[in-house]
Amino acid sequence: MKALYKNYFRKEEEYNPVLKALQNVPIFNNLSKKELTEVKKLTHERMYKTEESIFKKMAPSEGMYVIVTGNVNILDPDTGTSFTSLRDNDFFGELALLDEEPRSASAIAKSPSKLIGFFRTDLLTLMKRYPELGNKILLNLSRILGERLRKTNEELLINPNK
Amino acid sequence: MQPLQKIYRLLLIIIISGLAWNILPFLASIIAMLIFSFLFTTIFLPSVDRLEKFLKSRILSVLLILSSSSLLSISFLGLFFSNVSSQIKLFTKRIDNDDFVMNLSGLSNKIREYLPDFISKLIPEGDNLIMMAKNTLITIFQNILSILGSAGGFIFISLIVLIFTIILLIEYHDFKRTLVRFIPNKYLEVGLRVIYNIEQQISKYLRGQILAASSVALLSIIGLFILNQLSANITLIVFIGIIAGLANLIPMVGPFFGMIPAILISLMNNIGNETALLHQLFGIIPSPFYIFDIILMFVIVQQIDNNFITPVVVGESVGLHPMAVMIVLLIGGTLIGPIGMLFAIPAAGVLKVVIGEVIFISKNSHLL
Repeated sequence: MKALYKNYFRKEEEYNPVLKALQNVPIFNNLSKKELTEVKKLTHERMYKTEESIFKKMAPSEGMYVIVTGNVNILDPDTGTSFTSLRDNDFFGELALLDEEPRSASAIAKSPSKLIGFFRTDLLTLMKRYPELGNKILLNLSRILGERLRKTNEELLINPNK
Repeated sequence: MQPLQKIYRLLLIIIISGLAWNILPFLASIIAMLIFSFLFTTIFLPSVDRLEKFLKSRILSVLLILSSSSLLSISFLGLFFSNVSSQIKLFTKRIDNDDFVMNLSGLSNKIREYLPDFISKLIPEGDNLIMMAKNTLITIFQNILSILGSAGGFIFISLIVLIFTIILLIEYHDFKRTLVRFIPNKYLEVGLRVIYNIEQQISKYLRGQILAASSVALLSIIGLFILNQLSANITLIVFIGIIAGLANLIPMVGPFFGMIPAILISLMNNIGNETALLHQLFGIIPSPFYIFDIILMFVIVQQIDNNFITPVVVGESVGLHPMAVMIVLLIGGTLIGPIGMLFAIPAAGVLKVVIGEVIFISKNSHLL
């Protein structure tokens, strides 16, 4: 009976991997399921092949990506240094939602990956159509930036030569 | 690229352009309908999005906004045609009157008096002028009849445009997402930026134009009302104002078309009125039937619009050089006629955004 209920009466969103990935992104914290569904409607699902470039260092930046499935490497192509390797439900490039500065590193898919793109133009559309929702996202973004700034300050206090 | 390959590519481009040129006339009406639907979608999209938030139903919001707008347009057109037909009926009654013939001859002689000899010879004498006026009226009636004859076609086209607009408004955000799906990963971010910029350019231009047209309409109505206070006897001022506002959507040539209905109605109403015939602008310049008063009023409205309203509400939305505006208008007018002139400027604005982005992409191609 329970299985029958689950199969026929479950809501699509509950089992949607895209919604699940979005839920894990701090930018979308405190968003109701309905609001998250609105965000999902604006995002872009993309498939990347192994070794396919997602963006290159110094390229004009437009927004952030959330990994639904797969692996992504963030690296500096000039020095070959790999900064981090990201996997399911991780996100990157969120700063581009606020500024138009060129990308500071390159992102390359290390395995066939499914990503969700959420771009500045989407955020602007969201702010126009649902100002309350747009404000929530902006507040979350500012919170993240504040935390990072605090962390950088602390690190500088501990090691001023860094 | 091999030279032979270059020649093949050039030949292919020529063949495709030739085919497109030949097919264009057949597709022109469908393309025009789609463009109209897209423009209406851009105009109504913000209100539909806003209403959807309250009604929680997109379909209902679209139907509500489009039905109320259609109702308004239909009642405007209905009122306009009934008023114009009664105006024409009144005028035809007066035209059969002998006084009218006398007045027209008087007008011809009056104008000849004011003008130097070499120009006055060009003005036809009384009888010829009446013949000319009658012929012109017959042509106008024939044109009105042919317009009414093609009303069936117009209703059909309007219905198709309405259906396209409804579909586009309901599915707009999904259509956009589908379009984005076709962009290769490499160009995703740039592609999104181009789409967003084009959307912004068109909606900013359209909103600015609608605001400017409304203000021209309002100013013209006020101007005509003031002229009526000086006994100009111009009827249908609301319709004349709206027509002037709509004509204003076509840059440069539009304002001239805008003043024609006012002059025609002033002529129709004032023929036979000696005071109107002898009227002088500022008591110095002869202005029979308030013609120069009307022209001056529209010039003032244009100046207010060009120097105060348009720079504020439209701003540098398209930012084309006046010379470029003229060339673009000529191209639009030659290709599709008056509708081409109406769409020429926003189309040039879109082209400008696309070219700007293409230059940007080619400069940053190594980064994509």
